[in-house]
Amino acid sequence: MSQKHETPLLDELEKGAFPSFVKEIKRAAEHSEYAQDLLGQLELSYKEKVTHWKHGGIVGVRGYGAGVIGRYSDVPDKFPGVAHFHTVRVNQPAGFFYTTDALREICDIWDKYGSRLTNMHGSTGDIILLGTKTENLEPVFAELSSRGWDLGGSGSAVRTPSCCVGPARCEWSCYDTLELTYQITQRFQDELHRPMFPYKFKFKMAGCAVDCIASIARADMSIIGTWKGNIQIDQEEVRNYAKNGMDIQAEIVDMCPTGCMSWDGNELKINDEDCNRCMHCIAKMTKALRQGEEKGATILLGSKAPIVTGALMSWVIVPFIKLEPPYEELFDLVERIWEFWDEHGKNRERVGELIERMGFPVFLKETGLEPHPAMVKEPRRDPFFFWSEEDIEK
Amino acid sequence: MSELPQRQTDIGPPHYSKFLPPVIKENYGKWKYHEILSAGVMVHVAESGAKIWSVRVASPRLVSTDFIRDICEIADKYCDGHLRFTTRHNVEFLVSDESKVEPLVNELKEKGYMIGGIGDRISNVVHTQGWVHCHSAATDASGLVKALMDELHEYFHTKELPAKVRLAVACCVNMCGAVHCSDIALVGVHKTPPRIEHDKVKNLCEIPSTVASCPTSAISPDPAKKSVKIKLEKCMYCGNCYSVCPAMPIADPKNDGVAIVVGGKVSNLRSNPMFSKLAVPWLPNNPPRWPEVVDAVKTILNAYIEGARKHERLGEWVERIGWEKFFKVTGLPFKMQHIDDFTFARETWRMAATFKW
Amino acid sequence: MEKEELKKIIYELVEKSMGKKKLKQSDILKKVSKDHGVDKQEVKAALRELLDSGQLIFTYFGGSYVEIPPKE
Ligand code: HEM
Ligand code: HEM
Ligand code: HEM
Ligand code: HEM
Ligand code: SF4
Ligand code: SF4
Ligand code: SF4
Ligand code: SF4
Repeated sequence: MSQKHETPLLDELEKGAFPSFVKEIKRAAEHSEYAQDLLGQLELSYKEKVTHWKHGGIVGVRGYGAGVIGRYSDVPDKFPGVAHFHTVRVNQPAGFFYTTDALREICDIWDKYGSRLTNMHGSTGDIILLGTKTENLEPVFAELSSRGWDLGGSGSAVRTPSCCVGPARCEWSCYDTLELTYQITQRFQDELHRPMFPYKFKFKMAGCAVDCIASIARADMSIIGTWKGNIQIDQEEVRNYAKNGMDIQAEIVDMCPTGCMSWDGNELKINDEDCNRCMHCIAKMTKALRQGEEKGATILLGSKAPIVTGALMSWVIVPFIKLEPPYEELFDLVERIWEFWDEHGKNRERVGELIERMGFPVFLKETGLEPHPAMVKEPRRDPFFFWSEEDIEK
Repeated sequence: MSELPQRQTDIGPPHYSKFLPPVIKENYGKWKYHEILSAGVMVHVAESGAKIWSVRVASPRLVSTDFIRDICEIADKYCDGHLRFTTRHNVEFLVSDESKVEPLVNELKEKGYMIGGIGDRISNVVHTQGWVHCHSAATDASGLVKALMDELHEYFHTKELPAKVRLAVACCVNMCGAVHCSDIALVGVHKTPPRIEHDKVKNLCEIPSTVASCPTSAISPDPAKKSVKIKLEKCMYCGNCYSVCPAMPIADPKNDGVAIVVGGKVSNLRSNPMFSKLAVPWLPNNPPRWPEVVDAVKTILNAYIEGARKHERLGEWVERIGWEKFFKVTGLPFKMQHIDDFTFARETWRMAATFKW
Repeated sequence: MEKEELKKIIYELVEKSMGKKKLKQSDILKKVSKDHGVDKQEVKAALRELLDSGQLIFTYFGGSYVEIPPKE
C-alpha cells in the first residue's frame, strides 16, 4: 500500500538512534487502513498540537464490562480508517514470558481484525491491541478466547494483576510472584470482567523490596516479598568483591540506611536485629549475600496516581504473611477489604482514599487486622484519639 | 467471513509455565546469583550450576506485528523460541546455550537493534498513549520518548551513571504509569480551564453526570442557559469533564505543555520509596522534537552525574544536597507553582530555620 | 424468588433510572436485595443473565455502570 498522507513532522522521528514508533506505524500501514489513517491523524495532532480522539463509553464484548477501551476520531471524514479505533486489552501471561508460537498466534488474529499495532505492554501489564472497529470486537474476542486468551480489566474493576520476573529468573524473589499472580487472576475473574467496585482495584506482586514492578506506587494492593532471619554471608565472596575493586566501606557499609553493618577489611558483620531489609547490600553483592531463610511478604495497601486528592503510596497493613498455595488467607483478606470498600466507598473513590477519609483504625477494626508498629512511621502526635465501648469501664 | 470459533469467558490468561524455557522450569526459584556481562547481557546462575543468558534490546513500545514477527524469528534461531518482555518495554532474548550468545548479539547489532538497559543506566521509558490514542492528552508520549532517547541513548547502551535513572512520560495528569515515582518524568499539562460551548451542551451532554464528573466540584448547573458553569478558581485543568461532555473542550494548543518532575523512586534500596517533585512547571509543546524539554532533562541529568555519589539515586542526591541547592546547581528557576497548595501542602513547607544559601 | 421475576425487577430498576442516575452493579445488588429480601448472590446471578444476553450492558463514564443498550 502506498502511503496515503504526507507526514513531514512524523518523518523527523524516523531519524535518530533510538527505535522509532513512527517506523512501526509505517510498517503496519503497508497492510492496514487503520495504520494509514492513524499516521494521518497523528501528523495533524503534531501540526496542531492537540489530540483528535473522543471518548466512547459503550463498546465492549457481550457480558463483559472490561477489556475494551472505546475510541473515536473527531475528524472521521478525513481519516475514516480510524473513525473507530478501540483498544483491546489482552491479559498477559505472568512474568511476560512467551513462546514465539504464542506471539504469532496473537499477531495473526490482530492482522486479520485490527490495526497490526500493539503495545507490548500497557502500563498495567496487558498486551494492548491498539485499534479496531466496533464490529470486529466480538470476532477478536472469539478468536482469542477459543485459543486460551482472555481480556484484561478496565473500568471500575479488578485490573489485570501483574508481577516482576520473580522466581523464574531472579534470586531475590521471596515468594512465587508468577503463581500468585496467576491464582489471583483466576480467582477474581468475575471481579475483573464485570465491574462492581466504586473504582478500579490493582494488584501488583514484587518478589522483594527492589520492587521492579513499581507495586508500591501503583497498586491498590502491593505485595512485596521479604524475609525473617539473618542475612547469609559468604565471607570469601565478600573478600572477592573487595579484591575486584569494590569499596565495601563506602559502597555498602556507609550506605546501609540502618547503620547495622561493619567491615574490618576481612570480615563483614551485620547486626540483623537492626536491618530493615532494604536490599541494598544484597543487590550490590549478589554473590556474597543472601536473604534470611524464612520467606514471605509484606502486604501494603492504597497507592494511586494523583487524581483526585494527590498521590498516595501504599502503606503496610500486614507486616508478614507466608504466601503459599492455595493462598486462602490472602484471598480472605482481599474479600474483607472489598466488603469494607463496597459498604463505605463513594463512586470513584479508591480504597486508599476511603481509608484516609474513614481512618486507618476504623479500617483495621472492620477488616479484623491487629495494629502493629510496622504499620506506621511514628505514632500519632495529637491527643484526639477514640475509644470504643469495650475499652470503657462501667 | 468464515465461521467464528466458539467464544469462552472467564478463562483468564494462559498459565505462564507453558511459556518458560526448560532451563527456567528446571531451576525455578533456585537461582543463586547473576552477573551483568555488558550493558545488555546478563547471566543468571542457578544452584545446580545451570545458566541462562538474557540479552536485552529496546522496543518503542508501540510496535507493529511485523516487529513481533521479526523478534520471534530471532528467538527461534537462538533461543528455541523463548523470549520475554520487561515491565519497561524491553525485549529479552533468553539463551540457554552460551555458544549462541555472541552470534545473537552480532545479529541483533547487524539488524540495528539497540542492546542495553541493564545496570546503572537509563532503561527504556515507561509511557502512555498521548495523541496516538487518548482523548485526554495534553502532549504526545511516544514522540517525547523518541526525542528524549535519541539524545540520551548512550546511557542505554554504553555509558554508566551513578545509579539507575528511571524515566517516564505521561501525557496528562491522570498519569497512567509510575510517573509520580520516577527519577525524571515528563507530564503533559493543561494550563487553562475547559471552554463551555453552551449551545452544544444541551444536545451533547447529560448535565448531572457532567457536574458529577468534576473531582473538585468546580462545575454546577446553569439552569438559565440549560448548561453548566465552572468556578474557575476551583478548576485544576484535569479534563475529566471533557470526557463526559464533549462540549467542554480543554485542549488549548498555545497553553498546553509539559511539566518535569524529578526525584521519585519505587525501590526500597537504602532510602524509602519517594514521590517525584516538581522541577519545571511548564515548557512548550514543540513537536516533533520538543527541544526545550529535552534540554531541561539533559541539564538535570548532567547536574546529577556531576554531583551524585556512587549508588545514589537522583532523589537521594537531591535529599542530601537539599532542594534549594538543586535549583542552584541546575539553574532552573524557582516559581510560584513550585510551592505546594494542594492536599499535602503543609508537610512540604520548611518548618525549620536551617537551609543553604 | 423466580429468576425471571428478579430479572424483570432489575431491568425495570435500570429503566427507571436511565437519564436520572447511573447505577453501578453494586447499587443494583444492594437495592434489589434490600427491597425484596433476596440474597445478593441471587440478584447477581439474575443480573449476569441480563448482561450475558445483551439486554443490559456495562458502560463507562469515568466509572462503570449498568445501562440499557442504545437503540441504533
Ligand atoms: C469523568 C469522566 C471520565 C474519566 C475520568 C474517564 C477516564 C477513563 C479511564 C480511567 C479509562 C481507562 C480505562 C481504564 O483503564 O479503566 C477510560 C476508558 C474509557 N472511557 Fe473514559 N472517562 C470518563 C468519561 C468517559 C465518557 C464520557 C465516555 C464515553 C462517552 C468514556 C468512555 C470510555 C471507554 C469506552 C473506556 C473504556 C472502558 C472500558 O471499556 O471499560 N469515558 N476512561
Ligand atoms: C485516575 C487516574 C487515571 C485515569 C483517569 C486514567 C485514564 C486513562 C485513559 C482515558 C486511558 C485510555 C488511553 C487510551 O486511549 O488508550 C488509560 C489507559 C491506561 N491507563 Fe490509565 N488512567 C489513570 C491512572 C492510571 C494509572 C495510575 C495506571 C497504572 C498504574 C494506569 C494504567 C493505564 C493503562 C495500562 C492504560 C492502557 C494504555 C497504556 O498503557 O497507556 N492508569 N487511562
Ligand atoms: C489538647 C491538646 C493540648 C492542650 C490542652 C495543650 C495545652 C497547653 C497549655 C495549657 C500550654 C501552656 C501554655 C502556657 O503556659 O502559656 C501549652 C504549651 C505548649 N504546647 Fe500545648 N497543648 C495541647 C497540645 C499540644 C500539642 C499537640 C503540641 C505539639 C505538638 C503542643 C505543644 C506545646 C508547646 C510547644 C507549648 C509550649 C509553648 C511555649 O512554651 O511557649 N501542645 N499547651
Ligand atoms: C489535655 C491535655 C493537656 C493539658 C490539660 C495540658 C496542660 C498543660 C499546662 C497546664 C501546661 C502549663 C504548665 C506550666 O507552664 O505551668 C502545659 C505545658 C505544656 N504542655 Fe501540656 N497539656 C496537655 C497536653 C499536652 C500535649 C498533648 C502536649 C504535647 C504533645 C503538651 C505539651 C506541653 C508543653 C510542651 C508544655 C510547655 C512546657 C514548658 O515549656 O514548660 N501538652 N500543659
Ligand atoms: S522485585 Fe525483587 S524479586 Fe522481583 S525481579 Fe525485582 S529484584 Fe527480583
Ligand atoms: S538489607 Fe539494607 S538495612 Fe539490611 S544490612 Fe543490607 S543495607 Fe543494611
Ligand atoms: S496519561 Fe492521560 S492522556 Fe495519557 S493515556 Fe493516560 S489518560 Fe490518556
Ligand atoms: S477540567 Fe477538571 S477540575 Fe476543571 S472543571 Fe473540568 S473536571 Fe473540573
